[in-house]
Amino acid sequence: MFACIYIPDFPVEAIVRAEPLLREHAVAVIEGKPPLTRVVALNEKARLLGMETGMTKLQAAVFAETPASDLANSDVPQRRTISSPRLALLRQRSREQEQAAHAALLDVAHSFTPRVEDAAADTLLLDLAGMERLYGTPAKMGTELQSRAAAVGIEGNVALAANPDAAMHAARGFDGITVLPAGSEIQRLGVLPVEVLLDGFEISSQTASFRESTGREREKFREQMLDTLERWGVRDFRTLALLPEHALASRLGQPGAQLRRLARGESTRTLNLCEPAQQFQEAMELESPVENIESLSFVLNRLLEQLCARLEARALAAQQLWLRLQLDRRVADEQTTTVQELNGLSLESHSVIPKPEVERVLRLPLAMRDGKVFLKLLQLDLAAHPPGAPVIKLWISAQPAPPRTAQRGLFLPLSPEPEKLELTLARINAIVGERRAGIARLLDSHRRNSFNVERFMTAVGDISTTSSLTMSEDVGSRLAMRLIRPAYQLTVHLCEGRPADLNVDNGKTEGRNLQGIVLWSSGPWRSSGDWWAENANSGPSGAWDREEWDIAVAVARDGSNSANIGAEAEQNVALYRIYRDIGTGEWFADASYD
Amino acid sequence: MSSVAVSPAVHNIFRKDSACDLRARIESSLGQQLSSTLLLRERTAPLTAPFGIAALDALTGGLPRGALTEIAGPASSGRTGVMLAALAGATHQQICALVDASDSFDPASAAAAGIDLERLLWVRCSAGATSQARRNAAQSGFSKAGLPRNAGFAFGGVLEQVLKVTDLLLQAGGFGMVVLDLGDIPVESARRVPLTSWFRFRRAVEPTPTVLLLIEQEPCAKTCASLVLRMQAEAVCASDSSRDASTPACRIESVNIPQVPKTSVVSHADLLRGLCLRAEVVRSWSQRKPPQSAGARVELRAAL
Repeated sequence: MFACIYIPDFPVEAIVRAEPLLREHAVAVIEGKPPLTRVVALNEKARLLGMETGMTKLQAAVFAETPASDLANSDVPQRRTISSPRLALLRQRSREQEQAAHAALLDVAHSFTPRVEDAAADTLLLDLAGMERLYGTPAKMGTELQSRAAAVGIEGNVALAANPDAAMHAARGFDGITVLPAGSEIQRLGVLPVEVLLDGFEISSQTASFRESTGREREKFREQMLDTLERWGVRDFRTLALLPEHALASRLGQPGAQLRRLARGESTRTLNLCEPAQQFQEAMELESPVENIESLSFVLNRLLEQLCARLEARALAAQQLWLRLQLDRRVADEQTTTVQELNGLSLESHSVIPKPEVERVLRLPLAMRDGKVFLKLLQLDLAAHPPGAPVIKLWISAQPAPPRTAQRGLFLPLSPEPEKLELTLARINAIVGERRAGIARLLDSHRRNSFNVERFMTAVGDISTTSSLTMSEDVGSRLAMRLIRPAYQLTVHLCEGRPADLNVDNGKTEGRNLQGIVLWSSGPWRSSGDWWAENANSGPSGAWDREEWDIAVAVARDGSNSANIGAEAEQNVALYRIYRDIGTGEWFADASYD
Repeated sequence: MSSVAVSPAVHNIFRKDSACDLRARIESSLGQQLSSTLLLRERTAPLTAPFGIAALDALTGGLPRGALTEIAGPASSGRTGVMLAALAGATHQQICALVDASDSFDPASAAAAGIDLERLLWVRCSAGATSQARRNAAQSGFSKAGLPRNAGFAFGGVLEQVLKVTDLLLQAGGFGMVVLDLGDIPVESARRVPLTSWFRFRRAVEPTPTVLLLIEQEPCAKTCASLVLRMQAEAVCASDSSRDASTPACRIESVNIPQVPKTSVVSHADLLRGLCLRAEVVRSWSQRKPPQSAGARVELRAAL
């Protein structure tokens, strides 16, 4: 048993897939440079209005909402509203959307069976041998295939037959789901016009010479064959199937005999199988530039839904997402020029203008497949890194990965859900800034305050179950340090070589009482390092050489500094670590004991 | 006059002497006819997480889960040590989060205290981040929904971040302990945090097993806190400069600056090891009237 999925008016369907509201309207797809812009595809509603393939743009504009005078100026993007379903909508052909729709169709087919032939952009052939146990009767398989295609936003015809060519002709000739029982092909296919046979002959032909011929040669062959059959009075499959084989072969050659076999539904061949693609990409070209993130979110949402539906069809998830935005060149150039003028650069440096494209990468700690989470993450990322100019085209790609298959135990402690945690981290990063929320990882260095902040992630099943023992243990309390970032610069008065009195230079202690008389001091301790490095004197990561002291200063319990403390006032003692930079001789306070 | 008919079951109930039995029998007999709001309920003790310090666990019974706990105290009163001890125990079981208002967390101290840093989400708030985010949004014209204005007082930007981040963490759920470190935020600024924020946090954390811990200089969450602990440095050791190494450090009970005219010299270990702390329960979920004198002495070990 073989099945065929055929998408009529594929260019229209690819556009409707991105804009589902168009499904209720007459849509015509135009292509070509003015003035040779012509209609290349249209849906059934557009045909009912009287539109035809091959119409010029001006002819099509009669049926369209937008006046022809506006359409003539194709450089200016038009903002259109879908108001009346009785008027046709004209859309530019989008190769990216067609590729995405075709890839989605392939994903659907590969989710059904691994034996798939990528016959054409709008036609897929599937070998369903042995699938009855999984999906049931052929009618059920047809329904399942159609519903899976609808899940990725594509509506088409499905036909099942004993051989692939009969299935293909049935899918191209009959709407909806068609099941041809073995032996009944000639009766069921007999009513189809011979145009269906010749349209699919490129796929069905077994001869290498025909497959290698150019498109113009195929079109010529099709016209010649149609003329001949028309002169003979052959207009449908049944008439062609009744012609004697030898007589037909002597007049039309090998293709004639093959056409007769196809018309009788007796052709047999093996499928040219294709591998499932590992690239998941969706694209959309916008009618008018989008200037704000709220409007862009609707487009992103649609693309992400399609992407997630494709991933779901293949039982995969996304480990990484790429968002590529093509910006409006005019606005981007204007902004670049303005920046250059402000910086005093000459206008001749146009060659260094960056390409008006922005790419953002979303690395996920775990494989996910939730479109809403992806949308929110992208929104937050775009809010933190705005593209800087209106967007006219966008692509979203996903790196597929196997979905998480871990099962949590019933008695394990709760931990944040990975999707929710990722979203929370993105929101927190939007509030506190990049790389300010995560895991602190200590570096192998004696330098104070040496650590990296890394991305926070929870491995599933990482939580230990032996918590009860740990809970009952007395961990004990250790004297901890609170760091002062950045360190306060101090003015320190020495007495017998020891700190006796200190003051913060700029007077801003931000809630810390760090001034006055030093009650006790302990030190000094010398520490140095990284003097052997090449960039020893460059910046905070360079060499250090310092003399550390631990000191105690008195503060009043109401928080005032020790300078105002009287003899009767209640006091606290605060312990700080201060140090003197040996190189510069300056004093700093970088930590307190608490 | 109207007469009230009393069922035989109720007559039987009044024969019993015990009030508890009486109540139980009334509820069992008339439970179907009474609204659930009229029935008395036993106050169930919440689950607790250990402080990791035996003295504090004995004093308070532990950190209540699903509640807000405040640990208040001035600088060098041991708040951070207690916080790290609690986090050390919590990170061995669950994921925890630390919202650091003044970016003062020391990962080296945390690792020495036994905290599993892999399970601690550290959020470093800073005053500059909010303004940078606003600047980005304004430059792009891409985000019309900008961040709300800060509270308009000192540290308002940082506190705004702290409150927002805490809201997000509590809404996300799944954290065993969420710590808000306002230890270096001035009391005047911390007190200007609206009480509604603490109330919202308490309501958010109530149905969860999360411990919400607030480190600060003075208690500011008022009645929203289920447990308020005040830390105080009780004594600091000091010694003469002429003291030799074998002489034990002497403890002084109070500090009076005019009586210490010149700088005293102590050894490093004595200076740190001699810090004795006192913890006092100001409010507790388990005690309606907490005794003001209830306290515990906490010894901190110098292990830096």
